[in-house]
Amino acid sequence: MIGEYVTFQLDKCTGCAHCVKACPTRAIRIRGHKAVHHPDLCIGCGECLRVCPEGVIQSNVESRFPLDKDKTNAAIISPALYSQFPDTMPCDVLRAVKKMGFDHVVDLSFHLEMFQFAVERFIAQNRETRQAPFPLISPICPVVIRLIALKHPTLLDNILPIRRPAVMIADDVRKKLQSIHNITGSEIEIFHITPCPSKALSQEMVLKDEIGSVDRTIGINAVYPEICKHVENIREKELDIYDTDPFANIPNARGPMWSKSGGEINPLRDEGLLAVSGLREVRNCLEKIEMGVFDEMNYIELRVCPQGCLGGPLTAVDRHMAKQTVQKLVRTFGVNRRLPPYKLQRLYDRGWFFANIRPSDFTDYYPDQRRALTIDQMQEIENLVSLLPGVDCGVCGAPDCRTFAEDVVRGRAKRSDCFRLREIDNNKEGNT
Amino acid sequence: MAALKKSFQLKSRDFIHAGEASISVQNMLKQIGIESALIRRVAICAYEGEMNAVMHGENGSFRIEVNTDKIILDISDEGPGIEDIAKAMEKGFSTASEEYREMGFGAGMGLPNMETHSDRLDIESEKGQGTRVVMRFSLSPGSRENKTGQSA
Repeated sequence: MIGEYVTFQLDKCTGCAHCVKACPTRAIRIRGHKAVHHPDLCIGCGECLRVCPEGVIQSNVESRFPLDKDKTNAAIISPALYSQFPDTMPCDVLRAVKKMGFDHVVDLSFHLEMFQFAVERFIAQNRETRQAPFPLISPICPVVIRLIALKHPTLLDNILPIRRPAVMIADDVRKKLQSIHNITGSEIEIFHITPCPSKALSQEMVLKDEIGSVDRTIGINAVYPEICKHVENIREKELDIYDTDPFANIPNARGPMWSKSGGEINPLRDEGLLAVSGLREVRNCLEKIEMGVFDEMNYIELRVCPQGCLGGPLTAVDRHMAKQTVQKLVRTFGVNRRLPPYKLQRLYDRGWFFANIRPSDFTDYYPDQRRALTIDQMQEIENLVSLLPGVDCGVCGAPDCRTFAEDVVRGRAKRSDCFRLREIDNNKEGNT
Repeated sequence: MAALKKSFQLKSRDFIHAGEASISVQNMLKQIGIESALIRRVAICAYEGEMNAVMHGENGSFRIEVNTDKIILDISDEGPGIEDIAKAMEKGFSTASEEYREMGFGAGMGLPNMETHSDRLDIESEKGQGTRVVMRFSLSPGSRENKTGQSA
């Protein structure tokens, strides 16, 4: 289902409306002193989680993870996890996750390098011919993709049609595990340990060919305490994962860097690159892309979380600390290229990197897109807005006066919900 | 006949708010279900026009009118005016100051872009008398994507 990224436990809700104001797509209202969430407008950004003072709103990413011992369990590690442990080597973080009981731990750094190779190739091949619309938009942040589908459908074609690294790797891992252990796909459970609340639904993650690639998602904050415990106990290389695990690549700093805003584009050899992070900035940037301001740019990395993925709502440590840790890792390990370009080129030529489904197939993903207003209704909204107080007090239960006017015209709110309109309407009645 | 009108005041050299009128127009057109490609064209024209009025003009005003068959953008200011309109229409011609060029403007593509993306562009201007730019976009029956009127 669309938009079921969060759950509201309404018994604790006080109707304070913090979430109503924070929601970038205006998907929340207060009705009868309780929050009402409209999942068909939700992009899973997690802003409401961040601001709720009562803890009413929960991410649907799992926080408990009893492993099914009858299955082969593999954990794909979001690069942001490394940023959570300031004094621990990335390889020890992998060891610690393995100690939690996973049969395999999967590091993404080679796949990040592959993705970045594909970005460079795609730009080089299409820049002169302009067969793809420029600037290209990074497909990495799932919230950005949904924000585009909901608010900026004209930009769907600008999304780079390359599979995201986590998807490439999930498919790889499943295939490899099947042949190594001689088991079927259903005997494998692939987890994704992530800072991102919008990955709650692996089925609807971003592009539809991601269906089935990841079975379960767990928030970093849920596993953090246990990883901390194991990390302390790793004194020597008592557990050499590199002998037993084909996916525990020796991480360099490419992964940690990736989780920081700019880390996706920094290793690219290209001039026309931009990185933007933070919801407000991203929205601003999308509006400007639509108005042609960035037409000269080649590729734009957009991440809705402040400072990038390491600022995700499901992280455990402060994002500025995490950023500092990343910088330290980059200085220590660097982001050297480790894969032979000719092999990557061969994969690229075979179409291996490309997503099967174009983002433009998401045009009608959000039903609200189909509910257009008439010109008369739009004028009615404008007229109503001119009567409203304009201070966005939120007492009516909508985030701002304009949204309230839209709700009234769409029949989702009553005029009398606004104190000013109530006054005006009462006076009219009194006069007649 | 149904018509939707909205106007905005533009403040000279106010780069904090410059572009907001265009964004608000863009959002409005999306809500009434105008076809994406057309919104993109209107948005580009609106932004170029708005930025011109903010950069060069005084007391700018920005008006949009949406009828069932056309969209009209009418942007005017009381600025220095355009001395030679034919020259201003040439690609790459710009009178933008060094300061504006440093901000990324002044590529001399503003008016040519507006001409390319609108169905009709009219410029009234005289030196010292300000500038008025009117852009028209025709709405064919198909350009509302069969989405009209289905309020939920």
